[in-house]
Amino acid sequence: MADFTVSSEPNGGTGSSFTSAPATQDSFKHRLPDGETQRPWSGRYGIDSGDRRFSFSRNQSFKPHLLRNDSCIGINHPEEEELWEGHGKKEFGGTGNGVRNRSVLYQMASVLLAVRSGNRQVRRLALMISLNVAYSTVELMIGLLTGRVGLVSDSFHLTFGCGLLTFSLFAMTAAHKKPDGIYTYGYKRLEVLAAFTNALFLLFMSFSLAVEALHAFIQDESEHKHYLIVSAVTNLLVNLLGVWFFRNYARVNIAYRKAEDMNCHSICLHVLADSIRSAGLVLASWLLSLGIENAEVLCLGLVSAAVFVVILPLFRATGGVLLQQVPANVPTSAFNKCLRQVTALEDVSEVTRSRFWELVPGRAVGSLSILVKGGGNDHSVLHYVHELYHDLGIQDLTVQTDHV
Amino acid sequence: METQCSQQSSITEIGEMLQVAEPTHADIKTCGGPTCGLSNSGRESKDAKERSASIRKLFIAVLLCMIFMCIEVVGGIKANSLAILTDAAHLLSDIAAFAISLFSIWAAGWEATPRQSYGFYRIEILGALVSIQLIWLLTGIILYEAVMRLIHGTNLVHGKLMFAVAAFGLFVNIIMVVLLGHNHGHGHGHQAHGHGHGHGHGHDHGHDHGQHRSHSIDINITGENDERKSQQQKKQSINIRSAYLHVLGDSIQSVGVMIGGVIIWCKPEWKIVDLLCTLMFSLIVLITTINMLRNILLVLMESTPREIDATKLEKGMCEVDGVVAVHELHIWAITIGKVLLACHVTIKPEADSEHVLDQVIGYIRKEYNISHVTIQVEREKAL
Repeated sequence: MADFTVSSEPNGGTGSSFTSAPATQDSFKHRLPDGETQRPWSGRYGIDSGDRRFSFSRNQSFKPHLLRNDSCIGINHPEEEELWEGHGKKEFGGTGNGVRNRSVLYQMASVLLAVRSGNRQVRRLALMISLNVAYSTVELMIGLLTGRVGLVSDSFHLTFGCGLLTFSLFAMTAAHKKPDGIYTYGYKRLEVLAAFTNALFLLFMSFSLAVEALHAFIQDESEHKHYLIVSAVTNLLVNLLGVWFFRNYARVNIAYRKAEDMNCHSICLHVLADSIRSAGLVLASWLLSLGIENAEVLCLGLVSAAVFVVILPLFRATGGVLLQQVPANVPTSAFNKCLRQVTALEDVSEVTRSRFWELVPGRAVGSLSILVKGGGNDHSVLHYVHELYHDLGIQDLTVQTDHV
Repeated sequence: METQCSQQSSITEIGEMLQVAEPTHADIKTCGGPTCGLSNSGRESKDAKERSASIRKLFIAVLLCMIFMCIEVVGGIKANSLAILTDAAHLLSDIAAFAISLFSIWAAGWEATPRQSYGFYRIEILGALVSIQLIWLLTGIILYEAVMRLIHGTNLVHGKLMFAVAAFGLFVNIIMVVLLGHNHGHGHGHQAHGHGHGHGHGHDHGHDHGQHRSHSIDINITGENDERKSQQQKKQSINIRSAYLHVLGDSIQSVGVMIGGVIIWCKPEWKIVDLLCTLMFSLIVLITTINMLRNILLVLMESTPREIDATKLEKGMCEVDGVVAVHELHIWAITIGKVLLACHVTIKPEADSEHVLDQVIGYIRKEYNISHVTIQVEREKAL
């Protein structure tokens, strides 16, 4: 009798998910032989259909993911993917209950450790957060000591933003944890959540800037906060440094290939929006000094509109993933085509309850229910269906075969 | 004679067909069409009724809020008090939160589309997340304003006004409690889950006061079927209890502010009480949202729902005869109350896959009440 615990294989090798069955033809997990990492979508149906330079790997940095058809450079990130391959069976009981009760201190300590040993993005983010915190503390001190309201409010805003960036950092470090009994799909969703929270905060910020513009318009008091110029310029510089750190993601529309993409994109947009806001403040002061009326209203309105436009695609994409939408890269026609192909099999009479969703960009999950005519060979049908959907990019597929 | 015989035989044939056409397992499993939504026809009407009931309640709450806001705006203009006007603006933000909630409950009833294969149930969770973020944002703004007040060192704090507005807020809050929290215990366990948010407000134009008002926002939690009535009752009463506790906590906040107002009214030099009250009650508000936030996060992270013991389920499945092993077991919830399960089951080479499948699905449905189950049956290779 086979035992029920499977040791997970961290290198994504040939191990099948079955304890007893050695043959690879029984493993519908589609582990590719020879330790190859699971390939992302072959992109035959997707928008970025040219994955020609797919295995171009440069460890130091990588090119942005362009949405257009001409050049798509996908980079392997071998150091992170292996950690996640082994979500074969673990005992549910063992680590399951322990996870829920971990204390906050333990988690904070683990985050600090992870930051120290983390990859480039993590360290850059940590550096940026500490810079921001230091700057906001200094601003708060100066504001409290001299009694200037503008500085204090600015430092509050910065602190709020820092809190969000800390959550993003936490998500980045925690996302590499292996799946356990409670989180059977792993922790990668945290990155999408962090991206969503960032996008939501930026939307709120754009609304509040619009309200502030309205307020300034109604009250019509042009407050010449000249002392704010210094702080605005410093803020701008700090945020531009952040944009430089994450310059690979400094685009509005990105094709998301991995979970990390969404998180880093949201961080970059956050920093970009902050710098737009500071730049707007500087511009407003300059225009006011030139004597232009309503400069503040204009600039605030512009900044609010700009931030809104910039953040909306990210918000919709992360919202779509969280809403269990069908993977964005695969068009509906591809799904229909696969459905037709499955139904056209001679053993299959009907396909029902086909549902697909995306755990994180790059990992799609699906389930299907097939009515097989009595006596049909399940095995070949299962194999065919798995192959078909694997080409679309859906690696985790559960197919229920019911005999009529 | 022959025609009679053939008629009789055709009648018996039809009789047989009718007998055969009782709901087989295949019929239960197929619910028509490749992208049908997540509900069976029986549940659909119940869900729709519950949803319309909640929508009605929320609509009434929004209307009431609007009326109170208009009263406050008129009163504020008449009394020339900026504080009351800004409190009316806070009521506006409450209405925004109600609107988010209304929209999510309404949108959760949309039909599934090819891009949204599970329907729109997740919108409830996302709407709740957005409104909790709104709460946190408002609390942050309040804290900021409290610190501003501290910096500016205002001198005039109207204790009487503070008390009056807080009393009015308490009154509104109690009406909301009665309206939104009132539930009859039905067998099918519909629940209205409330979470409230309180916020204080201060204005630094020479007179200061804070008031806290809280309202409840509904989140729809639909229960499962009638067999588990005792568990349903327990689930219901837990939900009722938590909803009432929450709104009660908000009422306590209003009472606390009233106490602060009375203290300042009696001793106007203890302005710091206002700030302390604000800080303390903002903290209470944040703590009360943490539980709901944790539930939301559990759903969004696709984790195993807390009420299902996955180890026991796996063991039970393995005990079904014919089953060798269970792999890739994933249990997750699309929204609170709707749980899905997917796994691979290896069966013995000689077992009847249809029979084992029926048994496993029946076990899961009976014991754990998970109705949306997808099981891939794999046959162990005969040695």
